[in-house]
Amino acid sequence: MMDQAIHEYGREKVFQKQTLDRWLKLPEPDREALLELARGLRIGENHFRDFLDWLEEISLRDGASLSQILKGKSIALIWSDSRLGRNDKLKRIKEELRRLRFPRLVRLEGEIQKKIRQMGSGPQIQMTVVPGLEGGALTVQLRATSHEELQRLLAVLRQLSERTEMKEIFDLLAGREQGAELSA
Amino acid sequence: MIFWRGENKVLNYRPDEVIVEIGSEESPILRNLRRALPDVPFTLVEHPKSFLSALQASRDPFGKGKRRLLLMRHKGDFLKKCPGSDGQVCCNYFVINFASNCPMECSYCYLQDYLAQNPALKVFSNVGDLLEEAHKLLSRHRRFFFRIGTGEITDSLALDPYIGISEEIVPFFAEQPNALLELKTKSDCVEGLLRLDPKGRVVVSWSMNPPKVIDDDEHLTASFDERLVAARRCQEAGYRLGFHFDPMIEYPGWEEDYQGMIERIFALVDHQRVAWISMGVLRQTSSLKRIMRQRFPSTRLLSGEQVLCPDGKMRYFQPLRVRMYRKVLRWIREASPTVFVYLCMESKEVWKQVFGFSPSCERELGNQMAHH
Repeated sequence: MMDQAIHEYGREKVFQKQTLDRWLKLPEPDREALLELARGLRIGENHFRDFLDWLEEISLRDGASLSQILKGKSIALIWSDSRLGRNDKLKRIKEELRRLRFPRLVRLEGEIQKKIRQMGSGPQIQMTVVPGLEGGALTVQLRATSHEELQRLLAVLRQLSERTEMKEIFDLLAGREQGAELSA
Repeated sequence: MIFWRGENKVLNYRPDEVIVEIGSEESPILRNLRRALPDVPFTLVEHPKSFLSALQASRDPFGKGKRRLLLMRHKGDFLKKCPGSDGQVCCNYFVINFASNCPMECSYCYLQDYLAQNPALKVFSNVGDLLEEAHKLLSRHRRFFFRIGTGEITDSLALDPYIGISEEIVPFFAEQPNALLELKTKSDCVEGLLRLDPKGRVVVSWSMNPPKVIDDDEHLTASFDERLVAARRCQEAGYRLGFHFDPMIEYPGWEEDYQGMIERIFALVDHQRVAWISMGVLRQTSSLKRIMRQRFPSTRLLSGEQVLCPDGKMRYFQPLRVRMYRKVLRWIREASPTVFVYLCMESKEVWKQVFGFSPSCERELGNQMAHH
């Protein structure tokens, strides 16, 4: 019965056979939990594959089943939040799964974002790092509408560059984190 | 899914059959194979087409391909420039492919993907052509110094007890004034080398990982101790050594394991006769990961915190792997302050974060390695 429902869902969303086979090979509670998730969020194949990859990898690392992970508190809270629409739920659940899959990376990205916010550079000076932190770079973008404004922003940027937070951001990007937070 | 019988020694490998393509009958490799494998059936075929198509149709072509050894002539070039990886610092290395595929079974092996359409374990019989090609290249460019390795799409030594390739190529390279041959292995098959004089022109190098990684993910390879003893024997026989800490794997307790591994290596070998050490973290493409999921579904290598890099390979996220490289470099420096250390397939940014500099060009790095 459930396998038939999975086949139907796969047909409706035009899943490739390989993806369906992976799904159908899972233990029954995991198949069922994924079906509930897929139906509830109307997930297409690309998102579904990301979910499946991450869930399997978390499961391998933590020794929990896919259904246990999906029924965990953090995901269950998003799932049951009636204020969230389908798109927000999908986005939030995906973010939460990414956090579970890459805990140290997400924590480090969060640390860097926090330091950027602490510097309060204002809307005309944007500081960003790429998701995944590859390249080890902080991108700084200035938005000026006059020469005077540009000079003022450069002066602000110069002051920001002296801030402890700025130095700490580059330390974090270069793996020079204080403490043992990056250790396995 | 692959199941292991708990045995980890490369010499336990014996092909079920040797298939010989017509035209290879006079090869010294065939002579060596017949001598070393008297109980294994040899089949002479005009073309291995039917064997290859049956292999491709099997459930695990790459794994099954290792069970039979195909001896055939190589029709293309033997010598190629190492392709490196897009946008990464390259060490200007050349490769000779005397064989394709390998009798070992590392769960992370990139050949599972690279040789997916060509999975047979092949050894090329026309060694004379290989040497002629190498001679032409080296004599045409005497002012250029070549570092050449044989371990790109096979293990340099794992099949040596059967095929005797080192006896064919080491004496040739020992006489070349402008080349250094690197034999890269995870085996302890060095008996053939010990009878030869490398004259300073041959580096034997080992891919090294702590025993836990070898047990978990480097199936059918020699153990850590076996590799180390083999390295010591090669050093005593006049070979320079290389060590590749690649792929470095991150797991709870990796620091103690890698530090211990480095201390044990340098307690046994003379660091002054180590030509180079490379460091590189685990790398996977998404297609390799797909294959690993099928062939080694329980390997924990699938669950590392790896992100997609611009060259299409997944690596541990940069701050994490830079931290790993720095630590390993520190332990190497404590044991050997002067040994040449480089990064394999890493960007200039990572080089700078680890060493404080990056090579200005591939030739610079290659030259430093050749003349260190």
